[in-house]
Amino acid sequence: MNYLSAFICAFFTLLVVSGCNNEDKLSLSQRSVIYCAEGSPETFNPQLVTSGTTIDATSNQLYDRLIAYRGAENELVPSLAKSWHVTRDGKKITFYLRKNVTFHQTDYFTPSRLLNADDVLFSFNRILDEKHPFHLVSGGHYPFFQNIEFKSLIDKIEKINDYTIRFHLTRTDNTFLANLAADFSVILSAEYAQQLTKISAQQNIDTMPIGTGPFKLKEYRVGSLIRFYRHDAYWQAPAQMEQLVFDITSSNTGRLTKLLAKECDVSSYPIAHEKIIEHNDLILESITALNVGYFAFNTTKAPFDNVLVRQAIAYAINKEVLLDTIYQGHAELANSILPNSSWAHDTKIKAQEFNLLKAQNLLTQAGYPGGFSMDLWAMPVQRPYNPNAINMAKLLQADLKKINVKVNIVSYEWNTFLHRLSLGEHQTFLLGWSADHPDPDNFFTPMLSCSASYTGSNRTFWCNKHYDDLIHKALKTNNINKRKQYYSQAMAIISAEVPLIPIAHSKRYQARNKDIIGDIIAPFGGISFYQVSKLTISEEKVLPLNNDESDERSTEAVN
Amino acid sequence: MARDKIYLEEIFPSPFMQLWLIFRRTPVAMVGFSCFIFLIILAIFGPLLAPHSAIEGQLNMPLLPPAWHDDGNVSYLLGTDELGRDMLSRLMYGTSLTFGLSFIVVIISLVIGVLIGSLSALTSGIKASFLNHFLDVILSIPSLLLAIIIVAILGPGISNTVWAVVMVLIPQFVHITRYAVKEEFRKDYVLASRLDGAGPFRILSYSILPNIVDRIMSQATLAQSAAILDIATLGFLGLGAQIPLPEWGATLANGLDLFYIAPWTVYLPGLAILFAVVATNLVGEGIRHALKVRKER
Amino acid sequence: MLIFTLRRLSLFVFTMLLLTLLSFSLCFLFPGDAVINISGAINATPEQLIQLNESYQTSRNIFFQYLAYLTHIMDGNLGLSMASQSVIGHEILNLLPATIELSIVALLIAMFVGIPLGFVAAIKHNKPADNIILSVSMLGYSIPVFWLGLLAILTFSISLGWFPSAGQISLLFEIELITGIQFIDILLSDSPYKWQAFSDATAHIILPACVIAVAPATIFIRLARTSMIEVLETSYIRAASAKGLTFQQIIFRHAIRNALIKIIRHVGLQFANLVTIAMVTEVIFSWPGIGRWLIVSIDQRDYTAIQSGLLVLSCFIFVVHILTDFIYAALNPLARGVKYGS
Repeated sequence: MNYLSAFICAFFTLLVVSGCNNEDKLSLSQRSVIYCAEGSPETFNPQLVTSGTTIDATSNQLYDRLIAYRGAENELVPSLAKSWHVTRDGKKITFYLRKNVTFHQTDYFTPSRLLNADDVLFSFNRILDEKHPFHLVSGGHYPFFQNIEFKSLIDKIEKINDYTIRFHLTRTDNTFLANLAADFSVILSAEYAQQLTKISAQQNIDTMPIGTGPFKLKEYRVGSLIRFYRHDAYWQAPAQMEQLVFDITSSNTGRLTKLLAKECDVSSYPIAHEKIIEHNDLILESITALNVGYFAFNTTKAPFDNVLVRQAIAYAINKEVLLDTIYQGHAELANSILPNSSWAHDTKIKAQEFNLLKAQNLLTQAGYPGGFSMDLWAMPVQRPYNPNAINMAKLLQADLKKINVKVNIVSYEWNTFLHRLSLGEHQTFLLGWSADHPDPDNFFTPMLSCSASYTGSNRTFWCNKHYDDLIHKALKTNNINKRKQYYSQAMAIISAEVPLIPIAHSKRYQARNKDIIGDIIAPFGGISFYQVSKLTISEEKVLPLNNDESDERSTEAVN
Repeated sequence: MARDKIYLEEIFPSPFMQLWLIFRRTPVAMVGFSCFIFLIILAIFGPLLAPHSAIEGQLNMPLLPPAWHDDGNVSYLLGTDELGRDMLSRLMYGTSLTFGLSFIVVIISLVIGVLIGSLSALTSGIKASFLNHFLDVILSIPSLLLAIIIVAILGPGISNTVWAVVMVLIPQFVHITRYAVKEEFRKDYVLASRLDGAGPFRILSYSILPNIVDRIMSQATLAQSAAILDIATLGFLGLGAQIPLPEWGATLANGLDLFYIAPWTVYLPGLAILFAVVATNLVGEGIRHALKVRKER
Repeated sequence: MLIFTLRRLSLFVFTMLLLTLLSFSLCFLFPGDAVINISGAINATPEQLIQLNESYQTSRNIFFQYLAYLTHIMDGNLGLSMASQSVIGHEILNLLPATIELSIVALLIAMFVGIPLGFVAAIKHNKPADNIILSVSMLGYSIPVFWLGLLAILTFSISLGWFPSAGQISLLFEIELITGIQFIDILLSDSPYKWQAFSDATAHIILPACVIAVAPATIFIRLARTSMIEVLETSYIRAASAKGLTFQQIIFRHAIRNALIKIIRHVGLQFANLVTIAMVTEVIFSWPGIGRWLIVSIDQRDYTAIQSGLLVLSCFIFVVHILTDFIYAALNPLARGVKYGS
């Protein structure tokens, strides 16, 4: 007993003593930012995925692309390539690389040279060349590139000299540059790959990443945290924050609790917006994102291989109620897959209205007068396009009961959910799509094309030759009006065939502490912490410059 | 006395009646007991009495606060959840799931446990030693952990939860019955009836069981409170009742996402669980107190 | 003491046998192929499968399969997680210490609050203080722990802002995992912010540990109360008071010691109870322990993880049991003679 009490006394004295010395801790928290993320990344290489969670954690933090988007007009600007040149026929594109780009120096890799054409070659050849030593590392699936048929598009990539590289295309594709600026087309280090080959640990290239981005990976604990340090030798001005921590908190309430308790500075996908607005020291921001949330069918499985059944279900769904209860009015009703803000949007395309009588008739025509029972897979996490899929599933359950369709709700952990979907184990599912770049093709091809149904990003497995022809034609022409026509026809096919029922185009939300400054979310693609700073340190010197800029931008971005 | 007695006859109430007479005198225990009876009635008739459906909501009135709140609505006394389901109705349905099921669970495991326990009390030797070891291992694992293990094997779901809790509770009843029966067997009155030529089963059913029924009852109240908490905890962890069943723990877990905007969806199911467990424990305390008083006489 | 040790050892072996048998039989009870359930190799190529079948001896009879399973466990090979394909042995090694740490702190809190309160209740037997303590303790073990945890977060983290709501330590501090027990790791680390980290970790552990401690503390209150009442009624206490010792002397010199010995015996049993409560609490406070991991695994139907997690957790609880039995026997010679199982 005596020992114990002595120990406890010592312990508390220690606490008091340590409590006094707060200065260092303050500065530590001032130099770092904690982001409450909604899930763990599947990998650290964006080339391998389409999931937004992974993109958020990797693309803009760890890597750079040859070119990038900037501004409200989404114009393409130089990034790793300081300039580029496209020939008149659009088939030869030459990039001139910057000469001052350094790769990350970490515990596991020290670069001996700057970025050059070899790195670009390596990054793209890994995707293109099936015999490339790194092609099959991590499974050999590059869903984004397979969706856009990158392999057949690129004839060859030619290294002109150490800092010049030329892409030879087999056909004109006016989304090529947009695709290279998307979050997936990152540049890896060829030197790091060589080093890994030497120690035969090739798989590390995707789990212990080396890139050129503003942050470098320090530590990853599966399912709990990702720690980034600042990349001090970044080719632009280094990031403001020295440390960036992703606190992986999949529970919605957990993220809100941490935000309210000041345990994280920024939170992804916040719930209870009223509560956040109530707090003066918190900011709720929203951005009109290019996305669509939908309810889709596995068109290879009965009874959903029958178009009448799919139409019947589309008529039986009351989207207005979904918009009111699930999105709480923060979204627009989706008539087709393309958001209203896209230039190719066509107001003439209308989705099936809510009409139980029509639904019942169609179901009888299809041979299911007494209804049937089906599984509905609802995703377990909040996404911008669907804040609460489980609740949406419950509402759909109630809707479909009226036409005697019995719904069983199924849900798995997020990564398992996506994996099982790509295997086609499902009957119907709730999911959505967030655009990677502003080109409308980014909706049509990855969501519903035949090529995407092979790679698993088109989980409806719907493959329509006519639709595929239309979206291919749209890629080849530079005439905006013609493209618009093709896309309108494609949307008409979707409305008639109903491989999926678009439900809503939603805003993307984010909540942050008032003293965190700088843009994080963008209308498309992943988040970026490069611009972020904390109010308390930078008051005197660093901030003013940046502050103006970011303020200006956020007013543009927040709608 | 309304009736004159011709013979002076001393009436000995049965042990159970004695217990009831003492129990009745403790007001706190009686409060607990009436709450307990109230819950049983609610568990049986709750689904009939509930003003609204527990599963289908009024989509036009989501997140209505309880009636005493300014924005409340009297026809939704305890407010609604995010799908416009009436909380009061959900809690009433939930009574039959959480409280009612736990009551049934206790009865089932009591019957099985007492049966095994009294039979095993009659055995001895290697079988008894094995049983002892086995019981000790099982009893050393906490009931919730064991229930989680069993649900892990059977898979999540309300019926599996029920079976898991039954299996968890059986060893406790076996243990207490076995112990009590052995103790009674050593007493003189058992010896007397044995000398009369009664067989072990006759002694068990006519002499011993009436004398240990109160101890089993006391254990049953402990088991009941454990069962309520276990069913609710499993429901909360998503291993028990699945959506959309209004089991209290599951309702609470469902309210978690609304914690900050509609706190009543979390407070109310929690209070319901607390109320049920406290009522059960009060009854248990009353029984144990009465047992002690009777013993001291 | 020797016979006592032997008896405990035989019990230990018996239990381990039972537990491994149970966990071995799980792989047949779970849906799917037994070899895949046991190894977690869901993406195995046909060649790998043949190799696995060989190493688990599936072609021979069940007894050899069990032996093969035992050898795998002895080698520390618990298979791969079906969900994340990570090595389960490593994961458990990282997670179990966090649970142990939380449980021990909670146990200490429960003991240091519960036992004195129980003594007070016993000394003031049948007085208002006794009744108040008893009523509060009943409320304490009636309250569902997950609800209590939520209320605690709402009050102490959000409204008052005294304690953090989640995790083991602020993520700003970079503490290398060495032992897995955060406090020791902090002391071992060479971080410049060692002491800040230490006080931060303390702030993090207080809330969950207190929530866990509530139920065991009420049990300690009752145990301490009963055992103190019993002690106070013994003849040696009466003799001591007849000798003219003051009440305080009697309590502090004689009664407490004797009452404590009876309580220690129950600490082991309570520890098991406490670990279970900790599992639920970990979910609410996002504590990176084995309980949360196990519950997530059950949710994901990660059979290999469930099987190994249960095995390790129940072994751990049982080892604690035996250890407290030993401590009790060492402190109280009378206990060594008591036959097992009565």
